[in-house]
Amino acid sequence: MTVSLIDLINAIINGVLIGSIYSLIAMGLALIWGVMDVINFAQGDFMMLGAFITYWLLALAGIDPLISIPISFSIVFILGVLTQKFIIEKILHAPLVSQITATFALLLIIRYGAEVFFGPFTRRVSTGYTGIILRYGAISFPLTRGIAFVASIIVTTALYFFLTKTYIGIALRAVSQNRIAAELLGIDVNKMYYLAFGLGVGISAVGGSLLSTFYPIYPEMGAFFCLIAFIIVVFGGFGSVFGAYISGIIIGVAECVSALFIPPTLKDVVAFGLFIIMVLIRPTGLFGAKLGL
Amino acid sequence: MSLKISEIIDLIRRQLYGTRGIIISLISLTLLILPIIFWRLDLPFPANTLLLCLLYSILAMAWNILAGYTGQISFGHAIFFGVGAYTTMILMLYYGVTPWIGMFIGGIIAALTGLALGFPLFRLRSHWFTLATIAASEIFKLVFISWKWVGGAAGLQPPIVPSELALYYLQYAGPYIYIYIALGILGIEIIALYLIINSKTGFYLQAIREDEYAAMSMGINPFKYKMIAMLVSAFFTGIGGGLYTVRYRFIDPFAVFDLITISVYIAVAGILGGIYTFIGPIVGAFIFMPITEYVRAQIVVRFPRYYGLHVFVLGIILAIITLSMPEGVVGWLEKKGLIKRELTLFNPSKLKEDEII
Repeated sequence: MTVSLIDLINAIINGVLIGSIYSLIAMGLALIWGVMDVINFAQGDFMMLGAFITYWLLALAGIDPLISIPISFSIVFILGVLTQKFIIEKILHAPLVSQITATFALLLIIRYGAEVFFGPFTRRVSTGYTGIILRYGAISFPLTRGIAFVASIIVTTALYFFLTKTYIGIALRAVSQNRIAAELLGIDVNKMYYLAFGLGVGISAVGGSLLSTFYPIYPEMGAFFCLIAFIIVVFGGFGSVFGAYISGIIIGVAECVSALFIPPTLKDVVAFGLFIIMVLIRPTGLFGAKLGL
Repeated sequence: MSLKISEIIDLIRRQLYGTRGIIISLISLTLLILPIIFWRLDLPFPANTLLLCLLYSILAMAWNILAGYTGQISFGHAIFFGVGAYTTMILMLYYGVTPWIGMFIGGIIAALTGLALGFPLFRLRSHWFTLATIAASEIFKLVFISWKWVGGAAGLQPPIVPSELALYYLQYAGPYIYIYIALGILGIEIIALYLIINSKTGFYLQAIREDEYAAMSMGINPFKYKMIAMLVSAFFTGIGGGLYTVRYRFIDPFAVFDLITISVYIAVAGILGGIYTFIGPIVGAFIFMPITEYVRAQIVVRFPRYYGLHVFVLGIILAIITLSMPEGVVGWLEKKGLIKRELTLFNPSKLKEDEII
């Protein structure tokens, strides 16, 4: 099978664009894991909620998807804080099996709750600009994917400044580095946990809102993205938020480029295969400082 | 294992004395008579549910030796289930091997798959192990979907055989015959797991669960014993897959490698019953399967609009159990003193000096 240079460039560009969405979901996951040592299996489903909020705001109130991003972030942020209060907080010091099953139960409730309440249908967001395709010579990609890429960079930059320049952000990182020392210095760790969980799922919801402009929306859409996000977090190093951004793009490119060479159904196996290889040769991830074993 | 045949018989006989013996005999008798009652009264729904309870008991018991006793929470047991199911089906369909042997070979292939997966997976601990098992089961599903020889996404289906070959190909109408096969498998499994749990190996597994580093410092090789647990667990899960194949006579990757209806159902049955107890998974399966089957068959099948309701109910059950009764039903009854905690029959103090490691 011969692959032309143009196909390859197109695949790389599309990989970067979809990878930036993967990254948003993975960064939320890495943030929650880094601060709280909890793996949120329901991450992909909070993303799905974000996509649905965007859809309903457009369908019911005619709010443009780009304007609904902050709304969907806020709603899911509040949901995240409530989740932290009523579920996660209770299992923080519980045995491992409870930690795993708690967020897994959350996954089932959100995903299948959406299925029951919204119906098992596939929906699409369409506005005036969702059909536009940008072309430059033989290179082309949908406008909405370009918007999503730019937005993901903005969100990541904002997160970077929040975590490095503001007092609360620095406190959050302090908790992630050493919870007891942070507590001794007067940081309210419980509040930081609320913030981390809310922020973590909120960022995923932004990813979901952006995704909804070029991807079908259905209640089980979170399943695939959640797994990809986990792979990215392992790949980028456990708990490393910006490692997650870079490795998200790497995984996106690897997927799109490999789809040129192998049957499309096996495209996702590449990501899972990379994950297994990564676990075998470098369990701490590409950018990992925190030992994940 | 240092147990002799006479000791094994003695061990089992000791379990059958007294009140416990009466209860076990009564339950066994009920389970043996129930299918006949369902058959005579023509009640397919309770019979199907009973079969599912038994199937998930087999699976959850197998899962529990890895999850409950060794502390490695797997959400990827659909891999072994699917491998067992596909092996049985392919042997029957392409090579004419009877499922009586095919199920057993399916178990062996599943156990070998478990060994092969153990090498990468056991490098990870805690959550990350769970996560990697999910990723591995997704890989299996995707590979089987694109693998033409095993039927790809369309799945495999054996032809209907004439009734004189029914015994060879295990094709019977309704669930009634299969209930007895499931009971047989479950009986063998209970005895096998009971012997393992009450041997030195079972003791080591629990030591690894409690504190892996402490176990290592006592000279236990965690990797080796995790592999043993994986082997046993995958073997019985594979046999469960074979049972699924002969009962439903149709398999496709979406059904047998499913994360929710296989891997998570197994785990929920185990957790609901109590993963730190021996009979917990069976109790869990017998509580959980009737509920979810009832919701699925009575509501979801009638009103397809509410697809997913049975899994939603499952999620709520799992959340309640996790938050308010993490030790499971049997564990809770033991804590309240309503059931006597099963004493381990393995007594370390009886070991000779050179036998300890």
